[in-house]
Amino acid sequence: MENSGAQVAQEIQWIKRAQQGDSEAFGPLVQKHQQRVFSLVYHLVRRRDEVEDLAQEIFIKAFRAVRSYNFQSSFATWLSRIATNHCYDYLRHERASRVSFYWQMGENSQQELEANAESQPEQVLDHEEQTVLKDLVDKLLKRAPEDDRKILVLKELQDYSVEEIAETLKLKPTTVKVRLHRARKRMLEDLRHWREENKGHAL
Amino acid sequence: MRCDNIRDRLDVLWDGQLPAEFLEHVKECSSCSQYQRDLRLVRAGFQLWKREVPVKPSLGFAERLVRQLSELSKTPSVSDFFERVGRRFVYATLVLTLLALLALTLPPTGPVRGLGAADIQISAQEASLAYSDPIGETGVQEPPDAAPLEGPAPAVTNEGK
Repeated sequence: MENSGAQVAQEIQWIKRAQQGDSEAFGPLVQKHQQRVFSLVYHLVRRRDEVEDLAQEIFIKAFRAVRSYNFQSSFATWLSRIATNHCYDYLRHERASRVSFYWQMGENSQQELEANAESQPEQVLDHEEQTVLKDLVDKLLKRAPEDDRKILVLKELQDYSVEEIAETLKLKPTTVKVRLHRARKRMLEDLRHWREENKGHAL
Repeated sequence: MRCDNIRDRLDVLWDGQLPAEFLEHVKECSSCSQYQRDLRLVRAGFQLWKREVPVKPSLGFAERLVRQLSELSKTPSVSDFFERVGRRFVYATLVLTLLALLALTLPPTGPVRGLGAADIQISAQEASLAYSDPIGETGVQEPPDAAPLEGPAPAVTNEGK
């Protein structure tokens, strides 16, 4: 507990020095939070080749904006907010693809995949099936409205609690619950419509 | 039981198992059965993404970033430049607006601006020339009742009458 208190005090020191324009003091902050930022960026954009560049831009943005950090939320949450917004600025220029590997599977393979997905997908599904399933979710996320995507990524991929999501997105926890329910429902509805559109396309 | 009831219990379905009465309906209803299979697909896809090992920062990422930041802080950023230029532009516009307002509110004549006495004299002379010789054929003549512009009025005498 004492150690944790000392760590918090140390972090506050670094932030205050960074607020004075000391870029050296920003280094330990980058080191402390880089893994969290990389993970969040990866889950938001789901493209390995873009992660490091985006993370770099996020930290530069954070350094430039660090004077506006007022210690109201944790530094990690404040950084997550910058990362989320930055990734969505990036994703806004990407158009959702209409093609998913899932629709190119035969009907029997689709049914097999559905049956295997019921439990422990990482153990039951082979590498190809896992790729198909991940691609399907990736495309569904890209088709989803921006607010739905943010909340689904934070909850389903980053495993944030409702309270953490509320703080990151500046929402009330009850609003987060309602939006999460709506986002899941909308995603399933979209899959149903997409399935209708692709009926007959399956091999 | 209506299909909507099942879909409204999505959170239960997503995070765990549906109660027995719902399961019976799902078995009988093809639409709800497909809904449940879709949900499992999506949930499994999310699980696979979650278990993916995220990209790790390359060696020396933080050090390189700090070096870049210190270089950036030495050279003012483009946004700083625009901020500075923008601020100057606003000040200049304010000053010009104030001057324009002053020019509009001040009287048209007076010590600050407007026509001085010398200007009036020249204007009057020009007016009299134009009156006496509108087409420029004759010499300069006084207008019939033009008053002298300065000096005492010519004395009226009865000489020669």
